Parts: sequence; C-alpha cells; structure tokens
Amino acid sequence: MRDRTTQEVPGTLFVQAQNCRGCRSCQLACSFAKHHVFNPGKSMIVLERNLSDGQTAPMIKPVGCDLCGGDPACVKACKYGALLYEAGPGNEKIVVRLLGKEGS
Amino acid sequence: MKRPTTWIVWVDLSTGKVERTPVDDALNSAYLGGSGVGWRLMSDALAPRIDPLSPENIICINPGVLVGTLTPGTPKTTVITKFPTIASEDGKHFIGACTTGGRYLGIALKRAGCHHLLITGKAPRPSYLRIHDRSIELVDADEYWGGGIEDVMIDLVEREGPESGTIVIGTSGENLVREALTIVDRTNSLGRGGLGAVMGSKNLKAIVVNGTGDAELADPDTFIAASERMRESIMQWPRREHWIDLGLAAGWDTFKHTQYPGIWPKDRWDELYGEKTRMETVENVIGCNSCILGCRLRWQTKGGEFNGEVGFGSPFSKSATSGMLLGIEDFRKVIHFVADANSRTGIDFYTVTRMIDFVTKMYEIGRLNAVQTGGFELSRDYETYQKLYEMTVHREGFGDVLADGWMRLKQDFGLDPQEYWYAGICKGVDFIYDARPSNFHPLMMTFTTRPRPHHGGSHTRTNSRNKTIEEIREQVERWGLAKETVDRIFTESDYSGKFNVGRYTRYMEDMMRVKNAIGLCTIYTYQGLLFGNDIAELYSAASGHEMSALGMVQCGERINNVAKMINVREGFSRVDDAIPEVWFRPMESPEGRIEMQDYYKTKVLTKEDTDKILDDYYDERGWDRETGRPGKDRLTELGLEKLAAELST
Repeated sequence: MRDRTTQEVPGTLFVQAQNCRGCRSCQLACSFAKHHVFNPGKSMIVLERNLSDGQTAPMIKPVGCDLCGGDPACVKACKYGALLYEAGPGNEKIVVRLLGKEGS
Repeated sequence: MKRPTTWIVWVDLSTGKVERTPVDDALNSAYLGGSGVGWRLMSDALAPRIDPLSPENIICINPGVLVGTLTPGTPKTTVITKFPTIASEDGKHFIGACTTGGRYLGIALKRAGCHHLLITGKAPRPSYLRIHDRSIELVDADEYWGGGIEDVMIDLVEREGPESGTIVIGTSGENLVREALTIVDRTNSLGRGGLGAVMGSKNLKAIVVNGTGDAELADPDTFIAASERMRESIMQWPRREHWIDLGLAAGWDTFKHTQYPGIWPKDRWDELYGEKTRMETVENVIGCNSCILGCRLRWQTKGGEFNGEVGFGSPFSKSATSGMLLGIEDFRKVIHFVADANSRTGIDFYTVTRMIDFVTKMYEIGRLNAVQTGGFELSRDYETYQKLYEMTVHREGFGDVLADGWMRLKQDFGLDPQEYWYAGICKGVDFIYDARPSNFHPLMMTFTTRPRPHHGGSHTRTNSRNKTIEEIREQVERWGLAKETVDRIFTESDYSGKFNVGRYTRYMEDMMRVKNAIGLCTIYTYQGLLFGNDIAELYSAASGHEMSALGMVQCGERINNVAKMINVREGFSRVDDAIPEVWFRPMESPEGRIEMQDYYKTKVLTKEDTDKILDDYYDERGWDRETGRPGKDRLTELGLEKLAAELST
C-alpha cells in the first residue's frame, strides 16, 4: 500500500477534458494506488460519458482524493495530457490537502 | 500468491436458465484463460454440423486475461462462434474467433465476473441481455427491434449507466444477412463473417453489461512494475505523436502501397483519399481501455451532401480501397457508407461494397442481366450502389442474393468469387489485403490457413514494408523459439525468399492465439513495441501461472490445434486453405504490372511456390500435408488425446 504522507501538501489537479481519449488508465491507476486493485468503481475519478458526441472527461470525486501525497498516480498514467498536476498552494480549482499527521 | 478465480457463465436464451461455474485451474494453465479457455469450452460444447443460425449455435464471449488492468493496451475481447458465411460450395461453415477492443465492454465483462459468457438457444421474442454482476436477465426489446445501432446503444447506456459495455446489432443482423457484424461501445466493430446474423437468429438485439468487481491479479506489485516500465518505454516510440494525432489513418504511407487496388494512379488516390483529406475530417482520436496508442476515430464530414455527418471507428482505409474500386472520387460519399454501416445497419462495409463492385461490373459486361436481378438495371453509379446496399441490408429482391454472400452468387448465377479482381476470397470471405501490392508475407498466408479468413490480431513486423531481416528475426527470437526453429524459419529458399513464410506463419498464428487470450492489441506487436517475453512477464504476474515466452507460444499452439480440430469436424481440409486465384493473375495498373512476389520482391511467386509454402506450414505444425489435418502425434504431445482419437473415427 502507498505510504500515507505525513505532512500537509497542497496541490492542484487540472483536468484538460479536451485531451481525454477515454482509455480509463487514470481510473485504473487511481484504484490501484488507493486500494491495490484494478477497479474503475473504486477510483476517485469518474469518467463522464457524453452520449451526444461520444467524448469522455475525467471528473475528480469531491471527497477522497489525497493527490497521492503529491505524486498523483492518475497524472502519471494519463499519456494524453488530460490530467496535469501542479504542486503548491495558490490555485482555487481543485485543491486537495492531505490530512495525515507526523507519525500517525 | 493467490491465483484469480475465473468464471464460466452459461445463458440459455430459450429457457432463461443461467449457470455459473469456476474454471478449473488446470484448464487456465493449459489454455492461458480468456479465448484460449473459450476455444476449449466450444470444442466440448458445440455440436458438429449444426446450422449457425439455429438455436444450437453458441456465442462464446471472452474478455482477455489482462483486460481491466493497467497495461500498455489490453482491451480485447474475443468472441467464438459458428459463422453463417457460406464457406464452400458444399455449404460448410467455419467456427472462428473475432476480436474487438472498446472502452467499456471488456472491463464490464470482467467486473461482472463473466470471463467466459456462453450464450445459446433462442429468445422467444426480440430481447436484449442485461447483465449486472450476478444478475442476468433477458429483457423485451420490441421497442429496439428495427432500430439503428447507435440509437439503441445510446438508449441502453442512458438506461443502464455510463459504465455500460454494449454489443448491438443493426437491421442487417435482424434480417440474418450473412455479412452482418456487431458494434461494440460505438467505436469498434466485431464479427466479420456474420456474428450479427447469429445474434439476430437468437432474437438478441443487444447485450449490455455492468459490473462492480475487481480485476484480480496474482501478484499485483510485480505486475504494475513491469507494466509501468513497458508503458514508459512505449512512450519513447518516435512515431507515437503522429499516430495519436491520426489514429489508424496514420498508416497511409504504408497502406497506399500495400492495399493499392490498381485502378487510379497512386498520386490521384493520394489526392482524393490521402492524409490531407483525412486530417480535414478527424475530430478526435479515441483510445480503447488502457491503450496509450489510441487509434479509433471520431470524424465529421465537412461539405458535400453528407455535411455534418458524424461517425465512429476507422473509416479511412476501407473507404480508400472501396472508393477506388467503385470509382467514387468524393471520399465523403464512401465514408457515408462506413458511418451508416456502423451506426445503423451493422453490415460489413468491406464485403457489401466489394460485392456491389463485382455485380455492377458483371452487369456492365453482360455476365448478369436484368432478369437475374429481378428487373433492377445495374449501373456503375452512386445511386445504384446506395440502392444495392439498402436492398442487401433488407434482403429485398436481388439484395437477398447479396445478403447470402459470395458463394450464393456462384450457386445462383455461376459467378465464381475467384473471378473477383481485388484481394481474393477464401472460405467465402473477401480478404481486406491483396498479396500482389502487399507481397506474400505471413499475414497473407494466415488469411488462408486460419479457420476464419480475417487477420484477427495476427499482425507482425512483416506487415510493414522493408523491415530488415534482423528486425523480423529479432521479433521471432523474442517469442522464445529455439535456435534451430529460428534457423529453420530463416532458411532461404527459391520458393519463399529470405525467410520461410509457411514456417513463420505457424508461430505468428500461435502468438495471435496468445494475444487474443490475454487481450493484447496487435498494434503493439506489429509495431515492435512489445514482444513475447514482455507478454509472458505480464501474464505470469497477472495469472500466477509462471510462463516463459516459449511456454506462451506452446499454449498458443494448443489453442490453435483445438480451433483447427473443431473445423476438421465440419469437413474442412487442405483444399479449403487455397490461395485466392486472383493473386496469381497480374494486376495491370497505371503504375505498371503488379505481381505477387515474396516479401523482399526477389521473384514472382507461382502456384507451385505457394503449394510448397503451404506444405512447409503443415510440416511445421506437425499436420498432414495431404489433408491439412492435425497429426495424431502432435495432438497427443499437446495433451489433446481426446481430439486425436477423433481423427480415427
């Protein structure tokens, strides 16, 4: 299992939906990072499916994402540039703060 | 390390009965899982010589072993059934495997615990099969019957949720057109040879699948480390950027030479159907699940009478060849047929357009007449093509003949499919490649030797032109073959050139069985991005069955022999593996005379040459050269004693 980080690390996950190809790698990587299994349903990412144009877009669930301690697995897994990560505070879009305490 | 449990799910549409049993571990070990096990189940369950459109036929659906995991590209589901194509003059039908990718279907099947979904019987009325984990039910589909594929698929996904995987048939499948296929998740076709008609014969309009389970792995940590390493290495492929911008349309530079129909000059073809026109139309490139080289397209037609038409799939290559064959200069008019076939009718674009090409030409030269066509005067124009297309989909008038395929043209009108001028026909199926512009490389061979004449995932390095002998040899070596085997393949001869196509084809087919069983898309092996040793590493960690590359190929051989033996039961033999006659006739083109040559174009191949190549293929398999049947000894060595015993009966 991923080692829970011990300090508060804010960061921002950007979704560039227009680059999404619908391959679901982000979902598979997320469920593996969080739960050590491959299962899109256990991922913190929901892949929206637009039935009028066939496009998909990753949406981060409002609760539960911890940005993998500053090295998000979904961003690494996306090879099409639909998910980008910026470390550090200062962005309003999606900021997920890690809540673990030293030694907990 | 716990090996994942996999399940066989039987659904009898006649009775509504569902049975679920776990797969025996020894079966998974011998057949790899996925379609490997599927073939064995079909060999045990499918009665010989049944009508493929009868309730007794079985549709066996197998998501690959690695589907639903994070890999470099394992989205594939393989379906095995008896296909309704009339494969010989005496009315035989082959049992074959077809494969599909997609974004939803494979994952959904795995999550629902349907590792092998076997559907038999016939629903009492038009229905769709709704799967949600353990809940499997037949739902009335009266409202969908007669509906187009896309409308039905959208409605099903709206009803069942955005994770739904779908297989849907169109009007041609309902009408039991033998060229009817199915569409998966809107973006992928499945089942050339008539899977759509098999579903239609079962009153089955669609299958919609949802599941919540995990894709289990024996050793997840080893697996993810290997997979991530391979993903990163494939990201370095220099052509990736171009590929993901254009999808399958990126292959034009190769395609325009290897699939040239020889009617227009190549420059003209380039101008009308080349990369420039493709770029104008591509809207998005779509990836199947876990793929980092997405190749499916969403396109939108700009201008002309079909302005604004949107389609999904890979329209460019098929429209380019059929466009030239039919003499249609505006590519948008041909792409319209692709869009319509994928979204509404579900008919196989290749076969229907090539049959239209054949009959309109035959009419023009007086080999067909208006009495035979039921009063329909055929001309070589777009309006006629559109009418013939609709008549075939609906089995109206002369379209009823076309709906039964190439062999019926021979039965009814004496028009021999071997007379057709492009690509050639074997076992009642028109090939999508022609060995004259392509050269006689192993993919051409496998069209004739595999039971269902379609590539089905067998591409290798030799699909591209001008690969060095070292590149080709490296791929074969990394399948784990013994040095003497590799040396035998790379022994030069005066009938096959620098390498022996027959001997090579055996291992290529066995690797194809492996890729289909695990769900790996052939793009990765064809482009030389993944090799047998990579596949073995991923498979071992996922399944818990420690397997070398050679071990995988040996399982592939076992699967291939089972697939062959089911077809031997149907009466198939060496005569059915015939090379299309058209390949021996020179193509007279504006670019000059094009004849079938070996891969490196050192000589023109004759029938005697290809007979020797076929001899070598059977020899490498341990099969009888005269009959083309598996040898008893080889079957016994592969642990297939029961099938070996059938050979004496």
